[in-house]
Amino acid sequence: MEARYLFKRLCYCGLAFIASITIIFLLLHFMPGDYVTFYLLEISRTTPVEVIEHYQHVYGLDQPFLEHYVNYVVAVIQGDWGYSFEYRVPVFPLIGQKLWWTLMIMVPSLILSTIIGAVAGAWSGWKRGTKGDMALLSSMLFFRAIPSYWLAIMGLLVFSCLLGWFPLGGYMSINALFSGYDIFDIIHHAALPILTTTLLSLTGTYYLMRNSMLMTLGEDYITTARAKGLKESVILRKHAARNALLPMVTMIAMQCAHLMAGSIFIETIFSWPGMGMLTFNALNMRDVPLLQGIFLMGALILIAANFAADMVYPLLDPRVEESMHE
Amino acid sequence: MSKKNLAMRVSIAIFAIYLLIALFAPLLTPYDPFIIAGGIYEEPSPEHLLGTNDLAQDIFSQLIYGTRATLLLGFTGAILSVSIGTAIGIVSGYYGGRVDEFITRTLDIVMTIPTFPLLLVMMMFFTPGIYVTGILMGLLGSARGVRVIRSQVLSIAQMNFITGVKVMGASDLYVMAKHVLPNLLSLVTVQFVFSAQHFMVMGIGLGFLGLGDSNVIDWGQMIDRAYQNGGVINGLWWWLIPPGMAVTFLSLSLALFGYSMEDEINPRMKLTRI
Amino acid sequence: MDIIRIKNLNAGFPTKRGLVRAATSVDLTIREGECLGLIGESGCGKTVLGMTIMRLLQPNTIISGEIFYKGQNLLALKEEEMRKLRGKELGMILQNSTTSLNPVLSVGDQIAEGIILHEGLRKKEAREKATELLEKVQIKNAAVMSKRYPHEFSGGMRERAMIAIALACSPSFVIADEPTTGLDNRTMKGVISLLAEVAKSKSMLFITHDLAAAFEICDTIAVMYAGEIVEWGDVDEVFSAPLHPYTSGLLNSLPERGFIAIPGSSPSLIDLPGGCRFKERCACSEERCARAHPLMKEISSSHKVRCHRYD
Repeated sequence: MEARYLFKRLCYCGLAFIASITIIFLLLHFMPGDYVTFYLLEISRTTPVEVIEHYQHVYGLDQPFLEHYVNYVVAVIQGDWGYSFEYRVPVFPLIGQKLWWTLMIMVPSLILSTIIGAVAGAWSGWKRGTKGDMALLSSMLFFRAIPSYWLAIMGLLVFSCLLGWFPLGGYMSINALFSGYDIFDIIHHAALPILTTTLLSLTGTYYLMRNSMLMTLGEDYITTARAKGLKESVILRKHAARNALLPMVTMIAMQCAHLMAGSIFIETIFSWPGMGMLTFNALNMRDVPLLQGIFLMGALILIAANFAADMVYPLLDPRVEESMHE
Repeated sequence: MSKKNLAMRVSIAIFAIYLLIALFAPLLTPYDPFIIAGGIYEEPSPEHLLGTNDLAQDIFSQLIYGTRATLLLGFTGAILSVSIGTAIGIVSGYYGGRVDEFITRTLDIVMTIPTFPLLLVMMMFFTPGIYVTGILMGLLGSARGVRVIRSQVLSIAQMNFITGVKVMGASDLYVMAKHVLPNLLSLVTVQFVFSAQHFMVMGIGLGFLGLGDSNVIDWGQMIDRAYQNGGVINGLWWWLIPPGMAVTFLSLSLALFGYSMEDEINPRMKLTRI
Repeated sequence: MDIIRIKNLNAGFPTKRGLVRAATSVDLTIREGECLGLIGESGCGKTVLGMTIMRLLQPNTIISGEIFYKGQNLLALKEEEMRKLRGKELGMILQNSTTSLNPVLSVGDQIAEGIILHEGLRKKEAREKATELLEKVQIKNAAVMSKRYPHEFSGGMRERAMIAIALACSPSFVIADEPTTGLDNRTMKGVISLLAEVAKSKSMLFITHDLAAAFEICDTIAVMYAGEIVEWGDVDEVFSAPLHPYTSGLLNSLPERGFIAIPGSSPSLIDLPGGCRFKERCACSEERCARAHPLMKEISSSHKVRCHRYD
C-alpha cells in the first residue's frame, strides 16, 4: 500500500475528527445560556451567582472564543473530555469502560449481519423473481420497517417473558453475586441483544447486496463468463459476488452509524450496561459533558470504520490503485 | 392486478387510513386524551377500548391523537431533508468539477459526524416542540440522500438535451429547475417516502427516550411511559403494544410503497442487445 | 462438412409492448473452415443470432427451429450439456470489450479460467498457457500483462484479450460479435488482420456492420435486415454484384462509393410490416412487394436472395 495514500487517509481522519470537535464546540457555545448554568439551575433554582461563575471558570466558559476553542481541541485530543456531572468522573475513561460492553454487542452483530446479509442478498439477487427470492425479500422488508425499539420490546416480551428462554435484561444473573463471573451467563444475557441488533442491520445489508447483485448480473462480463462455459456456481462466486461486494464495503461505515444509534434503544430496553445505556442516563440527567463525550466517541468510531473501509477497498478493487498514486 | 400494483395500492390505502385518522382525530376520540377519564390502569372495557394509563387518561384517544404527531414529525423531517439533499445533489452533479469535488469531500467529512448523538444533544438542550424536532431531524439527516441524487444528476447532465438547452442561452438555474429536476422526480419521491418513514420512526424513538414534546401526545412517549411503569413485567399489554404496532404498521406501509415505486425506477437486468 | 446448420430459426422476446421478432425463418449453413460474415444495421438481429447459437439469451426468449453443430441440435440439448460445449467447442468474442471483462480479475486469470475448466490443467500451467495465448494475439510483454487488470489495457489490447479468451480452449467454431466497435482505424486494422489469421484455421461467424472488414476476412456473406436473411453468397459475388436492393444500398453508403445513405429507417421488430420488410425504403418496390412476403431464392450455387425481382 502506498505510503502517500495511507498518509492522505490519516490526514483526512484527523480533519474529520477536528470537524466533529468543532461542531460540538460551536453548538454548545452558541446555545442560549451555557450548559453549566443550565445544569446548576436544574439542581437548584437558587444557586448563588458566585457558584455559577466559579463553575463557569472551571469549565473554561469565561474565556474568549478562540482561546476556548483551541484549548478545547487540544484537551480533547489529549484525552481530557471533561467531567461528567452525574457520575463525577472524567468522561473519557467512563465512556471507554462502557465502550467495551457496547462493542460486545456491536461487533458480533456487525460480523453476523454482514455475512448473513451478504450471502442471503447474493443468493436472492441470483435467484431474482423466484418464489424463494420473493419470500425472503418480503420478510426482509417487513423486518426492515420495524423500529428498533419495538423489535427489542417485542423480543423481550416474547422470548423472555412468555417463553423464558432468555433473561429479562442486565448482563449477569443475580447468582453472580455469589458465584462470580461466568462467561456463559454473560453470553446468555448478551444473546437476545445481539440477535436483535443482528436482525435489524441484517435487513439493510441484505437489501444492499441484493441490489448490488442485480446490477452486477446485468454486466457484460457475466455473459462472457457464461460464454466460456463456466459453471453457474463459479460465475456466482467468482464473478458476480466479488463485484457485488464492492459497494458493500463502503456501506460498512453507514452500518456502524445505524448500529450506534440503535444501540441506545437496544441497551436501554435490555438493560445492557454499554454506551447506549449511558446515553440514556445522560439524557435523563441532562449530563451535557457526558453527552458531548459520547458524541465524540461516536465520531471516532465512525472515522475508524471509514478508515477501515478505505484500507480494505483497494484490496478488493484493483481499479482504485490508480487513484492511490495521486 | 400485478403484484407490484397490489402492493402499491395496499400501502396507499393503509397510509390513507392513518392520514384520515390524524385529520379527524377529534371526531374519532371518545375522550380528550389529556383529561382524567376514569380510574388508573383500567383494563380495556367498552368505555375505554384500550383502558387507561397511570394518569387515568384514555389510551385509545391517545393512540388516535398520536397519529398527528407521528405524521407531522415524519413529513417535516422529510420535506426539509429531501429539499436540502436534492438541492445540494443537483448543484454538485450539475456543475461538476471543482464545485462537485468540494461538495463531495465536505460530504465525506460530514458523514463521519454521528448525527443521532448530535440530535440528542440538541434536543436535550433546546427541549424543542414538535415542529422544531422535525426541523432538526430534517436538517441533520439531509446528507444521506445527496449521493444518490448526485449520481443521477451526473448522468442526466451529460445527456445531449441539456447541452441543447444551454446552447439556447438558458441560465444554469433555469436548466437545473426546468430540466434536471423533473427528471429526478421519481427518485425524489422515493427518497421522500423512505425519509418520511425514517423520521417518523426516529421521532417516535425520541419520544421513547423522553425527549418528546410533553404538550403533544406521541406514541413514543406512550411506549416510554408504559415501559417505565413496568409495562413488560406487569403485562400492561393494552398500553404497551398498540402504540408500537401503530408505528410499525405505518412504517411498513410507507416502506412497501417506497419499495414498489423503487422497483419501477431501478435499472433492471439489462436486456440482451439485438 | 457443415459445421453449423441453422434451420428455420425464429427467435422472439416477449415485452410489454409486444413480441420482438429478432429472427425470422433464418436458414444458414457454415462449412468447416468457412468464415461467414453477417452484416446489417444495428438492431437488425445479428447479435441475437450469435447469442442464440451459444444459447446465451434470456430464459424467456421464444426460440423455434434447429441449430445443428456437427450434426447435433444445440437447441435440443440440456443446459448442462450445452455448457460443456461453450468455450470448448464453441467460442464467442463478445461485443464491447470494455464492459465484457471482469474488472476485479486479472486478464490472465480470465483467460486461464476456461482452460482450467475444460482442459483440466492446474493453475500454474493454465496461466502459462494464458500468457502464450496473449503472445499469439500479439500483445507485447505478455508475461507481465497477463497479471494486469482490464483497466490497464488499451481498447485494442482488450479486444485482443477477448479473442484470446475465445480461443483459449481451441474451439472448432468461433463467433466474433462486432470486434471492431469503438476502435480507432489503426487498432482496427491490427485486430482485423489478427482475426483473418484466426479465420484461416477455424470456422467463424463474423458479425459486423463494417463492410470493409467483412470483405477482408470472410469467404461468404449473409446480409440481414429486420431479422431476416435477405441475401447470401460468396463474398466477391455479393460485393461486386449485389442482388438485393438493401445490399446495394449498404455498399453505396460506403465513403468510397459515394456515402449515399439509404432513406428511411429499419422497421420496429415488434411491428413488422407485411409483404417485403424492405419495401418502404426500396427504390424499386412494386405492388407485389406489399402483397406477398418474398422467399429465399437460389440464383446460383453460391448466391441466394430474398427479393421479388428475381422470382
